[in-house]
Amino acid sequence: MGKCGITLFSFLMIVSVWGCGYNDLQGVDEDTKAAWSEVINQYQRRADLIPNLVATVKGYAAHEKDTLEGVVQARAQATGIQVTPETLKDPAAFEKFQQAQAGLTSALGRLLAIAENYPNLKADQNFRDLQSQLEGTENRIAVARKRYIDRVAEYNKMVRYFPTNLTAKFLLHLEEKPNFTVADEKAVAKPPEVKF
Amino acid sequence: MSRVWRAAARLMLCLGMVFVAASAWALDVPPLTGRVVDLAHVLPADVAASLTSDLETHEAKTSNQVAVLILPSLEGEPLEPFSHRVATTWKLGQKGTDNGVLLLIALRERKLRIEVGYGLEGTLTDLRSAHIIRNEIVPRFRDGDLPGGIAAGVHAILGTIEGSYKAEEGPSAHVRHSQEPSTFQYVLVGIFVGVMAGIMLSHGLQYTRALVGSALAFLVAQFASIVLGVVAAGITAFLLWLILQTNRGARGRRGNWGPDFISGPGGFGGSYGGDIGFSGGGGDFGGGGASGEW
Repeated sequence: MGKCGITLFSFLMIVSVWGCGYNDLQGVDEDTKAAWSEVINQYQRRADLIPNLVATVKGYAAHEKDTLEGVVQARAQATGIQVTPETLKDPAAFEKFQQAQAGLTSALGRLLAIAENYPNLKADQNFRDLQSQLEGTENRIAVARKRYIDRVAEYNKMVRYFPTNLTAKFLLHLEEKPNFTVADEKAVAKPPEVKF
Repeated sequence: MSRVWRAAARLMLCLGMVFVAASAWALDVPPLTGRVVDLAHVLPADVAASLTSDLETHEAKTSNQVAVLILPSLEGEPLEPFSHRVATTWKLGQKGTDNGVLLLIALRERKLRIEVGYGLEGTLTDLRSAHIIRNEIVPRFRDGDLPGGIAAGVHAILGTIEGSYKAEEGPSAHVRHSQEPSTFQYVLVGIFVGVMAGIMLSHGLQYTRALVGSALAFLVAQFASIVLGVVAAGITAFLLWLILQTNRGARGRRGNWGPDFISGPGGFGGSYGGDIGFSGGGGDFGGGGASGEW
């Protein structure tokens, strides 16, 4: 009976852990998708703010053509790449998305740096409001990205750990998902050039 | 033997030092001792008391949870991530509606932030938050009137979010704790199932019947979809089986994963406010709000 009990117990444990892995994997998979939707959502929000911002800056600094066009182009590029939760598995598409958004971030950084040279623009109520909204959105993007990073880390762990990796591989055909990289953060964190 | 102990002690010491270093590096989230947490001691007692009672009445009426934190310094921590960390640790706002707001003020850095919960982002927008900071708080702070600025800011926040939510009728504060089946309940179910399985095993029922019992136990736990329940069931069954099998001796006491699992889940209490019994309702924050400086 003793041996029998142990066998039974191990059987119970293995089956339950394996069985729960199925639901848990589905759960974390959904979580990553939800987190990704939030990231997209916030990036979209930023893109929506830009036309107004560009128009406002144009009113005071129309001759800063290069910077203004740079922002418009970067925005077009960023909004042109659609990454749905389903295509999220593709690391190349993810990379492209990340690069386009990073490009827009640095173009925006240049635009705001230029604004420093125009006291009238800086004092403009409309511009200040847009700037507050932009800051708020950047912060939300940071939060959404952090949540996505956490979710994907959790998901990738489950996809790789034994025994859930078996469930992931043979039953659900789930693969690791790409995550945001620090290399991109470095590019973003590079301060824009300020000309005096 | 003593060498082993010494090595272990050394290891503990190392770990301890790492811990201390880590906690010294990152500014800890201060405990939620009330609706107004004034660690910099800038608010006169009567202002703090009246703010607290305003915030309390507001929550009773609308279920919105608004809290104020005044820090002497951020100690090098960036404002936005820290503010988000405090808000999510305190869990301001109700679960589901996420209607919490944190007003954070860092004196030495002369920075402040209004952190807005998901559920209030529609009314207390980033823009509105920025306007409150710019028009209500910062001018008073620049004149050196910290208490006045904080009070004006809080009242502007309360005025903005006044109509967003209504407090539920009845004693919602008590319902809050039993809204969702807690881990504790799953563990209880697990233990019950485990007792059943253990009795089945130890009484030497036929192999097949015990198997059916375990499968049933597994299904129940699976239905609850909580690993912990299964683990609790397994542990209970195992312990019970051990106890009831005393005549067999302690065969198969294999390793110390039992205590590991037991200590695994940790506390399932949640955060309690302390002093005046104020605690976060489980609200979440998505980074909404605005920052400013004076």
